[in-house]
Amino acid sequence: MSATHHHHEEQDFLFKYIFSQDHKMISKQFLITGFLMGFIGMVMSTLFRLQLGFPGESFWAIDFFLGSWAENGVMAPDKYLALVTMHGTIMVFFLLTAGLSGTFSNLLIPLQIGARDMASGFLNMLSYWFFFVSTIIMLISLGVEGGAASAGWTIYPPLSALPQAIPGSGLGMTLWLISMAIFIASSLLGSLNYIVTILNLRTKGMTMTRLPLTIWAFLVTAILGVLSFPVLLSAALLLIFDRSFGTSFYLSDIYIGGQVLEHSGGSPILFEHLFWFLGHPEVYIVLLPALGITSEIVSTMSRKPIFGYRAMVTSILAIAFLSVIVWGHHMFVTGMNPFLGAVFTFTTLLIAIPSAVKVFNYITTLWKGNIIFSPAMLFSIGLVSTFISGGVTGLILGDSALDINIHDTYFVVGHFHIVMGLSAIFGMFAGVYHWFPKMFGRMMNNTIGFFHFWITIVCAYGVFFPMHFLGLAGVPRRYYTNSEFPLFDNMLDINELITWFAIVAAFAQLLFVFNFFYSALRGPRASQNPWRANSLEWTAPVEHIHGNWPGEIPEVHRWAYDYSKVDENGDYVNGEDFISQVVPLGPNEKDGGH
Amino acid sequence: MTSITLENNDYKKEIKQKTAKPLLWIGLMSIVMFFAGLTSAVIVSKGTAVWETIQIPSAFAISTVFILLSSLTFYIGERSLKNNQLTKGKLFILATLLLGLLFTVTQYIAWTDLYKNGVVWAGSESSATGSYFYALTALHLLHLLGGLISLLVVNIKSIKEKYNTENLLGVQLSSTYWHFLTALWVYLYLFLIFIA
Repeated sequence: MSATHHHHEEQDFLFKYIFSQDHKMISKQFLITGFLMGFIGMVMSTLFRLQLGFPGESFWAIDFFLGSWAENGVMAPDKYLALVTMHGTIMVFFLLTAGLSGTFSNLLIPLQIGARDMASGFLNMLSYWFFFVSTIIMLISLGVEGGAASAGWTIYPPLSALPQAIPGSGLGMTLWLISMAIFIASSLLGSLNYIVTILNLRTKGMTMTRLPLTIWAFLVTAILGVLSFPVLLSAALLLIFDRSFGTSFYLSDIYIGGQVLEHSGGSPILFEHLFWFLGHPEVYIVLLPALGITSEIVSTMSRKPIFGYRAMVTSILAIAFLSVIVWGHHMFVTGMNPFLGAVFTFTTLLIAIPSAVKVFNYITTLWKGNIIFSPAMLFSIGLVSTFISGGVTGLILGDSALDINIHDTYFVVGHFHIVMGLSAIFGMFAGVYHWFPKMFGRMMNNTIGFFHFWITIVCAYGVFFPMHFLGLAGVPRRYYTNSEFPLFDNMLDINELITWFAIVAAFAQLLFVFNFFYSALRGPRASQNPWRANSLEWTAPVEHIHGNWPGEIPEVHRWAYDYSKVDENGDYVNGEDFISQVVPLGPNEKDGGH
Repeated sequence: MTSITLENNDYKKEIKQKTAKPLLWIGLMSIVMFFAGLTSAVIVSKGTAVWETIQIPSAFAISTVFILLSSLTFYIGERSLKNNQLTKGKLFILATLLLGLLFTVTQYIAWTDLYKNGVVWAGSESSATGSYFYALTALHLLHLLGGLISLLVVNIKSIKEKYNTENLLGVQLSSTYWHFLTALWVYLYLFLIFIA
């Protein structure tokens, strides 16, 4: 009897925590896996920053983490390339695509639209497990002979197409491609579910124009994923054919060690077209969820309706549309026809318009609000800041006449780390601080959160802002050392400074890790609606149940942004400065957002 | 009072009825983008790489006839099941499976013809043009294998008389996917004529 009981418990554990089909559990699985990968990516970057700041010096940390990759504590040049490649891959795909969308789309879509779960819990579970397997394969590739893939996260052929090209082009590259193919499958399964759930399973009264902006962002992100990831898959497949079967899609007239290879007739530029057709929308796949999260938090924590709801939705759609017709701006120096370059410049600069609309709306929402500076709010405002300062340099890089001068320099590295890396990770941090009570039923510690935010934002700017000057001076990206070129000798101090900021920033993340795990286990219990917010997820009980609401699903009567709404006498409607979406409209009350 | 929970089978069924078709349609969108990526790669290559002229094997034309017929039989089969003409439905769905298999065979014949004409998939004798011929058709066939598996399931279920006017979801999903594969093949066939 007790044996069967025990067996049941084991099964329960397996299906509740491991092979769960509950979107809330899957969301936590994505979060933890994504953060683990992010942590690995961050350690990698700190290590290669040591090499860049103090070229050729020996460090125990490099020795400790890299072992045989660094003789006597000095990083080997080919391993530097492997670290840069893996840092990019892990951060862009594993942390900011799967970690961010996987966590918050899963957590918030059913809860905020009023559904009991995703359209298909099974596909959702598969999506996580595909992601998990791709994670494992990518990590294994770090330890294989020749090292991990080293052709940069953009894996341009011929480095990626010829196993004999550089040490990382061998088994490491093969595993990279296999891992990414599985990753793409995971991402597609997730996106299918997100789109169909949002379109088909909204609760009564939840019209599209009453959706919180988070949901709009997740929807458009998922659509972008469905449209662009298959193209990356096609690019990767052709690459696999070239590598492993001897076709010549990307290869032509190549000599290695004086030997002419059999390949002829292909073009490596083709890969760039296919890659960036994904690659640019990918920027917005990473960014849009963060912008959605920010919209929600900025409004809630300013106790004000979001400014220009319709304009926000329109900008999301406009950004998404434009993002698929700008990929050529990554290829201005490939010998592109200057007229075509001008077309891509034009479409690229157009993105500034919807982006500026969003920034304007964030600031006008903050304007004269009763701002509550929670850690989530600080990170959201941090996102607005990085989105602006990274966005402005985008105008420079989007213009072919200017870009050609600073192509592949540290200017580019500074730009995309601020506008895409920092903005997205700030959005992710904001989301974790804000929805932690919903995920774990406990509150995070605010004081540690403040320290985490302030150290992070100062150091993040300290790392990436000076890079623009390095780039303008001509320092190329991806070089193992810059001390070999007298031209850049006076840049060594800046590199050292950047490295110091990077080290402090990395240690500051330990604050977050501690806060996260300590609060999940020991934090004070959360009330049902700790931020006094309007959206539906806060009407669900703190204790997680499969199905989200114990009784009927709540009906929605208004948009999600009725904060500080006053009646004709100047009193708060309902006596509070927020009105939940489930409260029916009063007799003379108008629904917002129209 | 009966509260709705996820363990409730009626609720699960309702969600499936509501979402299975949109899930398939958006899945098809991603396949469209996959082949859009590949065929636009062909166009880019045609502009930059050395391009060869290739004689299209007539077996591809026969394939096209088979797959068009199979879509027709699937359509008739589905309609028969909808009108509760179970025997007719069974026969036409079986015919669809057979036509699908014939399509697969003729694809293989086309490849051997290509090979005989000196068009090889890879290696020093290969050209990007020839490799694309094999890659596009083989990747379509890979997707068609999924269609054949679903047809096999639909056949077994229809022989067991699991389908009727009320319960058709499985057939509808399978037929949507199958018609999509037909359309995709017609597109690829015309495209191959265009690039050859």
